[in-house]
Formats: sequence, structure tokens, C-alpha cells
Amino acid sequence: MKELTRNVYIKNGMLLTKSKYGSHYGERIFDGLREWVPWRSKLAAMFIKGYLIEFRGDERLLYLGAASGTTVSHLSDILDKGVIYAVEYSPKPFSKLLELAKDRDNIIPLLFDASKPWQYSGIVELVDFIYQDIAQKNQIEILRENIRFFLKSNCDFLIMVKARSIDSLEDPNVVFSKVKEDLSRDFKILSTGSLLPFHKDHIFIHGKKIE
Amino acid sequence: MKLWSQKQGIGVQKLKIKLWFGEVQNGKVTRSNDLRLSFLKATNPEPLPFNLVDVGIEIFGNAKNYYQTLRKTAIQVMEEVTKSELKKEDKYIVTLVKTLEDIDEAINMLKERLKDLEGIKENYLTELFENKIGELKELRRKVDLEIDSTTSKLAPNLSEVAGSKIAAKLIERTGGLEKLMKMPASKIQLIGAEKSLYKALARLRKGKKAKIPKHGVIFLHPFVRSLPKSKRGKMARFLAAKIAIAAKIDYFRGELEESLYESVRYRYENLRRE
Repeated sequence: MKELTRNVYIKNGMLLTKSKYGSHYGERIFDGLREWVPWRSKLAAMFIKGYLIEFRGDERLLYLGAASGTTVSHLSDILDKGVIYAVEYSPKPFSKLLELAKDRDNIIPLLFDASKPWQYSGIVELVDFIYQDIAQKNQIEILRENIRFFLKSNCDFLIMVKARSIDSLEDPNVVFSKVKEDLSRDFKILSTGSLLPFHKDHIFIHGKKIE
Repeated sequence: MKLWSQKQGIGVQKLKIKLWFGEVQNGKVTRSNDLRLSFLKATNPEPLPFNLVDVGIEIFGNAKNYYQTLRKTAIQVMEEVTKSELKKEDKYIVTLVKTLEDIDEAINMLKERLKDLEGIKENYLTELFENKIGELKELRRKVDLEIDSTTSKLAPNLSEVAGSKIAAKLIERTGGLEKLMKMPASKIQLIGAEKSLYKALARLRKGKKAKIPKHGVIFLHPFVRSLPKSKRGKMARFLAAKIAIAAKIDYFRGELEESLYESVRYRYENLRRE
């Protein structure tokens, strides 16, 4: 067993996070380690493909598109000394996220529309990291606005871009290069990559806000 | 919307900054006496000119206290909001779809009358009519947008597979997501084609030949509509099956399942090529 990055381990090709909590979405637990399934979580897919993000563990993180909290639960293991502001606008999965937030003490659950960051501007502080996974046509705009509102300078963001929601007819590679070009105008792009074979028509973009 | 710096020109004094635990004015912080209320009203048009947590720690004494109160308040408020949102949403969609249909009818009726009027005499009255129709069209557009956003929130999978317009119509026809979720795919396929179905069944009972309809509301879906007639039935059947699954996921889990739409697309592309 090898520690990949803070609280993240790999054992026989299986990704795990160190956790003192129980199972959230039916994942298996091996004494204090929760299995992190790359088919369920895009961040896990990214990690297992070898693209790592180093966390200190005490970051303030804004998570846009938290859904029912699959990825949030693992991030909460990694950022065990940090705070995660988890934004989701659909009430159904949110109720499951709420259960997760009740169990753990580092998640602030927020039922808001991520495309309207002003609605939670008096709740979320300036953060060290923004993570976004939203299948919306205007996902890039959403990211930009939230960076403007909440991301500290010289801090990173990570977005899971879904080509099909931006343009369902265009070739995904064309969509991706457009998005990369768009983002590189204002931010420094650190790395990008596909999430195949786990998630089709998706890429991640890891970037930095520079002032 | 004015920029923060522009507003500063007028004077920061006038501007109230709303935070989840109170308000800041003239650089002075007033604590809210109802955290639940202030939590939902913490809306500011522009990013705050300071880091929220700095003010928070000042007010709550230390970081631990600040985060504990924030977390407790968030969970409490969000629990209430979630409950009421879950109850309301599908009734809201049903009403919105009905509203849209009524507006359409009104527009059509007015247009018809306008045409009659114009044929006889054109004066200030016809102009007024035109303006009113324009206003109604604007209202229609707004209702339409609201249907889109509400449906994709309540039923993300259904909206992705069927499109939010059709999803909203299916919910309206069946009277709610729960009822739609309990329906078999074969019935979903024919929602909106009940009249022709029963007509056909009645004919069959009498021993006559009849055409059983292949699709109802889902005919509006581009994947069904754009195929040649002979393949529409196949596509409609497949789409209805996936819609039935989507409705169940939306009802029980509510999370987007990306493979569902992919399979519909794949089937469509195969049918088109055949």
C-alpha cells in the first residue's frame, strides 16, 4: 500500500481514502480506508490516471455541483483539517448530502444555484481551492463568476468539463480546445487530461488564478 | 449593476453588506438576532471587499466557534428549505405547463381576432392588440424558461433523456413525478396519444383493422421526429424505456446518470444509419 497524496492510498490498483467515518454511497471499507471508485467520482478517475493534486489538509474549498456527496465525502477525508463549502441546487441529491454533512464536521451544505454566486456571497469566505463538476451549458461562465467572487489569488481551481452539455453536436475535442483557449486568456492552466475509460466526453482542467 | 469601486465613489456609508450572521455598515458590524433569516438573505451584488471569515472570527471570538455556528445554521436552514422545495416542485411544474398552454391559446385567439379586425378596419385598436400579443409572447418566454430550469432541477435525468419540455409535459400529463415513476414504459410511450389509442382499440374490438399509435408526447423529441416514419416506432419504444428508468432514478436518487443519455443517442445513431 502506497500513500499517493494526503490521506489517499493505492492498493492493488484500488484507490482508497483514510477515513474514520462509515460508508456513504455503498462503497467498501477496509479497516479505516474507504474505497474510492473512479467510475463514480471524476476526481478519483483523475487520481488513478496519475494526475495528482497536493493538498495540505487545512484548505478552504468551494465545491460546485456537489450532488449527493460522493466525491465530497472523499474530499472531506483528505481535507480533514479544512472546510468544504458544498453547493448543489437540486433538492433530491442534496438531502443525501445533508446527511453526510451532519455526520462530518468539515462540510457546510448549501442548496443554491451555482450560477448565482451572489446569493451565497455572504456565506462563503475566500477559499484556497474551487472544484467544479456541473453538467450545464454555461459551466465555464459559472466557474468564472465563482472564481471572481471567492477564489484567493495564486490559488488553484479544478473543473471537470463535460463536452456534451456545452455542445451536444460538436466534436468533443473541438469543444475542449475552445474551453481551454477561453480559460487560458485569464488563468494559468497547469494541466489537462481525459478521464477515459471511466468518464466519456470529459476532461479535467487544473488551473491557477493569477493577479 | 454597478461595480463596487463605483459605489464606493458615492460613499460606502450607504451600502449595507449582508452576511449570514449580520450586516456591515459604515465599517460597523451588527449581529443578526435571527440567524436563519439572515442566512438566507446574505446576498450581495458584488464580491465582498474583505474576507468574510476575518469579520466572523472577530464576532465569534475564534475560528472554531465561527465554523461550528456556521455549520449548525447551514444544516438547520437547509433542512427546512429542502423539505419545502421537495414538496412544491412537481406541483409547480404541473401548474407552469398548464399556464403555458393557456397563454398559447390566448395568443392564438387574440391573433385570430386581430386578423379579423385588420380585415375590416385598421386603427389604434389594432395597434393596441398587437402590443398586447407582444407582451403575452414575452410572458410565454419567461414561463418557458422557468419550466426549463425547474424541470432540470427536479428531474435531471428525465430532462437530459427527454429534454426539459417533454419532461415537463410528461410530469403534467401524469400529475407528478411519483405517478410517472410508477408507470411502465409502454404507457409512457403513449402519453398524449390516449384518444387515438382508445379509438384504435375500439375498432379492434369490433374486428376491424386499426392503426395503433406509436408515440404521444415523446414524438416531439428530435430523435423520434427526425427519423423516417418506419423507424419512429422503434425509437419511441426505446426512448420510452429509458424515460421510465430516468424517472425512477430522479425519484429515488436524483443524481445525473450520464450513461443513460449516451445509450439513447447511440440507439438513434444506429437507427439513422441502418
